[in-house]
Amino acid sequence: MAAVLAAGALVLSGCSSGSEDTDSAQDEKDKAQKQQAQIPFGDAEASTGPAAEVKGAQEGGTINVMQRDSYAHLDPGQIYVSDEGSLSRLIHRGLTGYKSDAQGKQTLVGDLATDSGKPSDGGRTWTYTLKDNIKWADGTDITSKDVRHTFERQFAEFINDGPVFIQQWLANTPGTEYREMLPEGPYDGDHLPDSVLATPDDKTIVFKFKDPKPDLPYALAMPGYSMVSEAKDTKEKYDKDPMTAGPYKIESFKTGKSMTLVRNEHWDPATDATRNAYPDKYEITFNIQYETSTERLMADQGANKNSVSFNNQVDAATVPKLNEDPEAQKRKAAGYQPYVSQMAINMDRVKNKKVREAIAYALPIQPYQQAYGGPQGMELAGGLISPTVSGYEDGFDPFGKLENPLGEPAKAKKILEDAGEVGYKLTWGYINTPEGQNYSPTMEDTLEEAGFDVQRKEISAETYYDEIGLVDNKFDMYVSAWGADWPSASTVVPPLYDGRQIQDGSSNYSHTNDDFLNKEIDRVQKITDPAKAAKEWNKLSQYVVKDLVSNIPMTYYKQIQLHGSNIGGVQYDDVIGALDPRKLYLKQ
Amino acid sequence: MTSPSEAAPTGSEPTTLEPVKAEGGDGQGTADHIGKSPGQLMWQRFKRDRAGVISAYVVGFFVLIAICAPLISKLYGKSPYTLYNSATGKPELFDPLGYPVKPNGGISGEFWFGLEPILGRDVFTLLIYSIRTSLAIAVAVTILTVGIGVLLGVAAGFTGGRTDTLIGRFTDLMLAFPSQLFFVAFMPVITTIFVAPEDATPTWLRVAVLIGVLAALGWMRMARIVRGVALAMREREFVEAAKVSGASNWRIIRKEMLPNLVTPILVQGTFELPLVVTSAAGLSFLGVGLVNPTPDWGLMFSRAADVSETVPTFMFFPGIAMVIFVVAFNLLGDSVRDAFDPKAAR
Repeated sequence: MAAVLAAGALVLSGCSSGSEDTDSAQDEKDKAQKQQAQIPFGDAEASTGPAAEVKGAQEGGTINVMQRDSYAHLDPGQIYVSDEGSLSRLIHRGLTGYKSDAQGKQTLVGDLATDSGKPSDGGRTWTYTLKDNIKWADGTDITSKDVRHTFERQFAEFINDGPVFIQQWLANTPGTEYREMLPEGPYDGDHLPDSVLATPDDKTIVFKFKDPKPDLPYALAMPGYSMVSEAKDTKEKYDKDPMTAGPYKIESFKTGKSMTLVRNEHWDPATDATRNAYPDKYEITFNIQYETSTERLMADQGANKNSVSFNNQVDAATVPKLNEDPEAQKRKAAGYQPYVSQMAINMDRVKNKKVREAIAYALPIQPYQQAYGGPQGMELAGGLISPTVSGYEDGFDPFGKLENPLGEPAKAKKILEDAGEVGYKLTWGYINTPEGQNYSPTMEDTLEEAGFDVQRKEISAETYYDEIGLVDNKFDMYVSAWGADWPSASTVVPPLYDGRQIQDGSSNYSHTNDDFLNKEIDRVQKITDPAKAAKEWNKLSQYVVKDLVSNIPMTYYKQIQLHGSNIGGVQYDDVIGALDPRKLYLKQ
Repeated sequence: MTSPSEAAPTGSEPTTLEPVKAEGGDGQGTADHIGKSPGQLMWQRFKRDRAGVISAYVVGFFVLIAICAPLISKLYGKSPYTLYNSATGKPELFDPLGYPVKPNGGISGEFWFGLEPILGRDVFTLLIYSIRTSLAIAVAVTILTVGIGVLLGVAAGFTGGRTDTLIGRFTDLMLAFPSQLFFVAFMPVITTIFVAPEDATPTWLRVAVLIGVLAALGWMRMARIVRGVALAMREREFVEAAKVSGASNWRIIRKEMLPNLVTPILVQGTFELPLVVTSAAGLSFLGVGLVNPTPDWGLMFSRAADVSETVPTFMFFPGIAMVIFVVAFNLLGDSVRDAFDPKAAR
């Protein structure tokens, strides 16, 4: 359960041209690495509001926001997708949150809580204390009862679109078995036992887990674990009209059309270390496609000067035009998205490691990058850990893919010949999108050159992940893209490569099932030092590439976003993979 | 009535004494035309239509290119299946974005029409092979639609009564099918039935399904037109006479009716063919027809539309070719109709 990339939906489609600005590309990478080398947990001081002022910021005014998709969910418990996550930063508050400084360096701090959490008992018990003077938008206090309610209602059946990490941890069960612990949620008067979740007073919350959960502060910062008001909980209806606690509240919301955010007078900046909230109002308009928002923001005329988009990216066909427009260049924010694309080799079918190595050497990854917009849309990958995730290691590239992005068919052929497998029949399921049509022929051609008998099967984009997710699918390999839920590889390695997860629809697309790896995953999951864990996760991901050769890294996703000339405080945020809505202000 | 001026003989046509066939037109009643078959008359009129003759040459040129595509590409020394932007090709011709380094889409002495972005195929051979694929499919579909349409149309028109109603409603039903959606739904079914799950779908199967679906959903226009003409003809004297003389139905259809149906069939056929070319291209454009790397006009367009801002030349060549082809074929159709049936108002 995590951020699988909806087929092509978030991706630059098509192509682009023009000279690549290598300097700024390097900047992005440095920034991402600096940021994500390790996101530290902040103490009480770092968690104390108000947030540092953005240089030159002005208060007031209305910012227009252009968005492609309307928000399907407003109930925090149902929020998982990234555009709702961006909105959530303005209206909802959680126990923890990410604070980013003027350089984009991130710290995980307490949001409603006084700090990022006090672990004890080797990371099995986490204690949070609520700040003073924190209020809902109706002026009532946020208490530990609300926190308890927030987590207990996640066990109810109607909460089915949000993250499930904390429920699984509390129940200590995999899959959806956690619901058995509290089938009706808190609505029938049942509560989680104090041995799991305790609220000894109005300000204190204690989580107790069976195993150490060093990543709890990260998980709590997910928009899906933002607070829900117990008094105002309307169950299913909450999804359309939630009680909010952030600096803005929803004045009006017309599904598919527009949303207006106005100031929440009961939000006290002194309690919030992460949010600035300069404009008085946000006018959000939906159904604006990437082409349209790009065109309007590039033109930068009239009301478009006061416009921005939280999540729309520059459409690929316009990238060459943007590259030749120095004025518009000044109004761009670019950075990484958390997704990593990889060729998953079906380990149930391709059992000969030599064959997999031959695929790894032969597979050209550059056509994939070029089909999705070239170096500005994606970066060629050597490893499976994205630059936005702790533990990323620059330069890891066991099959020389970065030096030979077009593949080495000659080398692969030799391996196949030595293994006596020339003519190996390789069934490859590829996604039938314009991009798929553009990269797959070159991959097929090069693999054929290397001595494979490639059978290229197209899979419809709508059912792509369902089909490759079947355990007994008839494909030998397929491309999948995966993004970490928080900047730790603990949301990458276990869901993708833990052999005990294999079932229909699971994200272990390569059906990797290695005893050593499974044991190591169990061990590393218990490491409480995040820096050490990050290193170990990276080692495991490298083991997958180098020793198992079950997944061949292809690319890291990137994107460019534009904003109007009157918008200030624009900063790309690698955690949400979009610009940070909290720092925006309107130049008047 | 044929106006004397329009039907005036050019003088170069040798007159024959072939007996006049059973024919519906009154045109041959004029003294000038005695001794000429309708075919000869048509030919005579056609030759005087300059637009028609030029269109015929253009269409002929396209057909020639389509037939000789392998020969041309052999002389030119390239194949549309060579992917130049790959380890075995010439990746130095492409920039990091996958676009040709040289201006104008990589047009050079070596690559006359430039190179395709990302896949890196030679546009010239790609275009002539695309024409070949599209024309072959269109000709096959047109032959099939004409065949089915004429058969059902004549059957409905000649038999009348219940058969007519049945075929008429069936025609209506088929007209209601959206061909694109039908194809989208149909292709996976065919794939599951005919192709092993481990094997790629062969191109011939895709082509066969494409032809089959386009023909199955394309014969209705022809059938309706033919039915109308046949219905009117059933009551004519020469058919009555044949009936009275004891000719079998089959003989009446074959000998009396079909010769008189040639005009609408030929005219409709020439309009049908460019329509098929564009609708097959439309299917591929939407990603449900043929797939890369099979050279195909529709695929070329869909690719060209993506990159039109950056590499306009890639749209230019197939676009111009398609415009010329469709215009020429339509003009040819017009001329053929005028030549056969000069009474028809423009």
